[in-house]
Amino acid sequence: MRDLCRNAVDDALAGGASYADARAHERRSQTVRTKAREVDSVADSETEGIGVRVLVGGAWGFASSPNLSPAGAREAASRAVEFARASSSRAGARARRTELAPTPPARGEYRTPAGRDPVDVPLENKIELCLRAEEALERPGLALTSAFVRAQRERRGFASSEGADALQELCECGGGIEALALGDDGGVQTRSYPSAHGGSSAQAGWEYVEELGLEREAPRIAEEALALLRAEPCPAGVTTIVLDSDQTGLQVHESVGHPTELDRIYGTEAAYAGTSWVRAEDLGSLRYGSELMNITADATTPGGLGTFAWDDEGVPAAREPVVERGILAGFLTSRETAARLGRGAGGSMRADGWNRMPLVRMTNLHLEPGAGSLEELLAEVDDGIFMSTNKSWSIDDKRLNFQFGTEIAWEIKGGTLGRMLRDATYTGTTPVFWGSLDGVAGPEEWRLTGLTNCGKGQPGQHAHVSHGASPARFRNVQVGVRS
Amino acid sequence: MREAPEALELAARAVAAAEGDEVDALAHRERSGLARFAASVVHQPTLVEDASVTIRVVRDGKIGAVSTNRVDDEGLREAARRAGEAAASGRPDPAFPGLAPPSPLPEVEGWDEETDALDPGAIAAHAWTAIEAAEGLGLYGYFTSGVTELAVASSTGVAVSQALTDATVLALAADETRSGYAEATSWRVGELDPAAAAREAASIAARTDGAGELEPGTYRALLSPYAFAELLLYFGYSSLGALALLEGRSFLAGRIGEKVFDERLSLADDGHDPRGLPKAFDLEGVPKQRVQLVEAGALRDVVWDRRTAHRDGRVSTGHGLDAASQAYGPLPFNLSVAPGEATDEELAELVGDGIYVTRLHYVNIVDAREGILTGMTRDGTFRVEGGRVSRPLVNLRFTTSVPELLAHLPGIGAEARLVNASDFYDARYPFGSLVPPVATERFTIVAAGSAPGL
Repeated sequence: MRDLCRNAVDDALAGGASYADARAHERRSQTVRTKAREVDSVADSETEGIGVRVLVGGAWGFASSPNLSPAGAREAASRAVEFARASSSRAGARARRTELAPTPPARGEYRTPAGRDPVDVPLENKIELCLRAEEALERPGLALTSAFVRAQRERRGFASSEGADALQELCECGGGIEALALGDDGGVQTRSYPSAHGGSSAQAGWEYVEELGLEREAPRIAEEALALLRAEPCPAGVTTIVLDSDQTGLQVHESVGHPTELDRIYGTEAAYAGTSWVRAEDLGSLRYGSELMNITADATTPGGLGTFAWDDEGVPAAREPVVERGILAGFLTSRETAARLGRGAGGSMRADGWNRMPLVRMTNLHLEPGAGSLEELLAEVDDGIFMSTNKSWSIDDKRLNFQFGTEIAWEIKGGTLGRMLRDATYTGTTPVFWGSLDGVAGPEEWRLTGLTNCGKGQPGQHAHVSHGASPARFRNVQVGVRS
Repeated sequence: MREAPEALELAARAVAAAEGDEVDALAHRERSGLARFAASVVHQPTLVEDASVTIRVVRDGKIGAVSTNRVDDEGLREAARRAGEAAASGRPDPAFPGLAPPSPLPEVEGWDEETDALDPGAIAAHAWTAIEAAEGLGLYGYFTSGVTELAVASSTGVAVSQALTDATVLALAADETRSGYAEATSWRVGELDPAAAAREAASIAARTDGAGELEPGTYRALLSPYAFAELLLYFGYSSLGALALLEGRSFLAGRIGEKVFDERLSLADDGHDPRGLPKAFDLEGVPKQRVQLVEAGALRDVVWDRRTAHRDGRVSTGHGLDAASQAYGPLPFNLSVAPGEATDEELAELVGDGIYVTRLHYVNIVDAREGILTGMTRDGTFRVEGGRVSRPLVNLRFTTSVPELLAHLPGIGAEARLVNASDFYDARYPFGSLVPPVATERFTIVAAGSAPGL
């Protein structure tokens, strides 16, 4: 694999590239899903290939081949040079000269620290785990239950014309359960654990899935789904909200992670994912939120889905502040955007496989913990709402105006949780919302959630990203938005 | 219809490599290029080639599926062996009706020699044609073309294949304070005019400077085909498939046969229509049927795959996904709204006092059962006053009920447009919706957002 990458780089240079890198991937993925206590699907997939990225005349080109052979590598290199040349042909003076921030050549090997390889766990065991979890979900009145587990193993070779020559072996796994309840009035309520939209995953061995405790948590999830049918809807108004760590993590993802991606700030995602309300010149001065807001990008987090030794440009993993005491302190960057900014070295370039160009992506992005327990956070709320587990999310192209909904909520009265509420939503504007942050629970409440559905790029790419957060409290938030 | 003999041969080899009571294989081959541009420079040009196969093995009613892009004999043998193991590991699936029998396919178009022949140089040239037509504004977007070959072979005698071409130009013309959007899609590149799309985007952008705010409330609205298509797509995902219906998650659950929408609205899923992106069969090898989903405002049906059809005593309408994606159930990939008679000007007059929406952003489902979606408008939101599109507005957050929106349609445009619905994630599967602009009496704005522009 590493030989192929080195050969592809040599071929690209011989074809006229001034810079080249090559990534070869072998990925194996499994998903087992049960539904209504039957096996819904047992799927196993593998994909392999090589992608070559080149600079010719200052313009990028990328081509890929599924053929992990010298011929495939050579063809990908040749076509990448051809496409770069064609793409630059009319650029003339308009094109910005592409410069890359310096980085030491990535050399060596890295392997996810893991106990039991999740792909090697027999499918029978995975099915049994799902069925046991579903059995624990079963309650009269529930319309549907489901459980799933996933496992993935990937080898990534990387070489560049600057001397990089590295191999990484990453493995990840995860799972989740869901209960769906239908009311007599046609109402539908869903509860999920440990997170919605694909459960939670981590870079870890199979022990991570076992420690999720899907079977253990199932009775609570089932009861909550049924109780939601009888719950009152979230009232409309402006109030104090406390978000659980899962929803706080998604809030970080959408309203801090994406707007601090430097490619968005420079406009290269404008047509699809959008741009950003943050400007490059805001670094070091923009007040993003309150003094309690500390956001860290950390590609070294144990178990994080964005953890690696080197990113897909060969930049070593790092832990960097993005927001410190409420002030913008850093961006998520590539070597190209870091060079344009004149600061940083990249480190956030990730590609969804061998046939996609790397893009600036989140790695692991965390809200650093504050102090105290969730109970202590709630105790300072006389009248408010505690919201848990994301149900829907939407945010504008500048990452400024957002609306989120959660599966479940409870009113907070006199510092303690009261009655359950359904269909909870809240909306706001990013700096105003983060400016209203007045409490973050401590390290004992900090949870790492891994999501696998972050979309960006054209052609589209999924990224696997983790967020760590403790429950957080926000004042004066608009809740209960409905049509 | 253009067949795909190499894909069919791959599917047949995969079936031959596997052992089971029943076996099928879906082969997928892709050759595509996408010249992505930003600030009027091609910055992310991507070429993709791949060939993969999904083998499904059925043993004693138990099913296992394995996908691989190692398509040499050894790779197929290994994938087939693992598919057998996966089946053996499972449990009998009582909802599984067996694999599809062979059936005659509809004769559809969808492949074009000129589009198939586009090389990287031609793809980049189309991108530059758009960029150079943007009239002083930066252009952001892409030009892409591809050829996708699909084939299904099975031990039950299915042996079908189709080659599809597609091409799309997407244009966002913008500067710091202005932005406008246009796109065009066809399976015939000769029908695309990248320069015209760029000019349309620039023309919209030129009118967005100085955008004003709007109070939240429910407004009458003129939705462009791009905006209307996106609403229908999300509504289709959540409500127009049989699995959502059977599980009670769909807005249509318990309402089939009721007239709940405006009588002007008729909506079908039509994979045969040459104006769209035609397909002859689904990913289970079942012939695609035209399905009337809404007829003169009455809810008629949803789309079905073999599994959901078996559960409900129905016949698959040819809307199944691949074996690894069956959890999503069948989905409508060729939505088509029957055009009305109104011109754009007449639609604005029917709106009278309201808003014009060019494009939506980040749409998501708030309540699937009620058909409530949220999202933002962007790249060309305007006030409609006195029956004419007037001053620009900032981007607006909507949280709106699609059923209510569809229940009050004073006018539907005379010209349907093919709107690309694929963002080209994973393996290429081009699809899109044929949608005219519409005037609605009910589009609910809940907040004002940021101004147009970068």
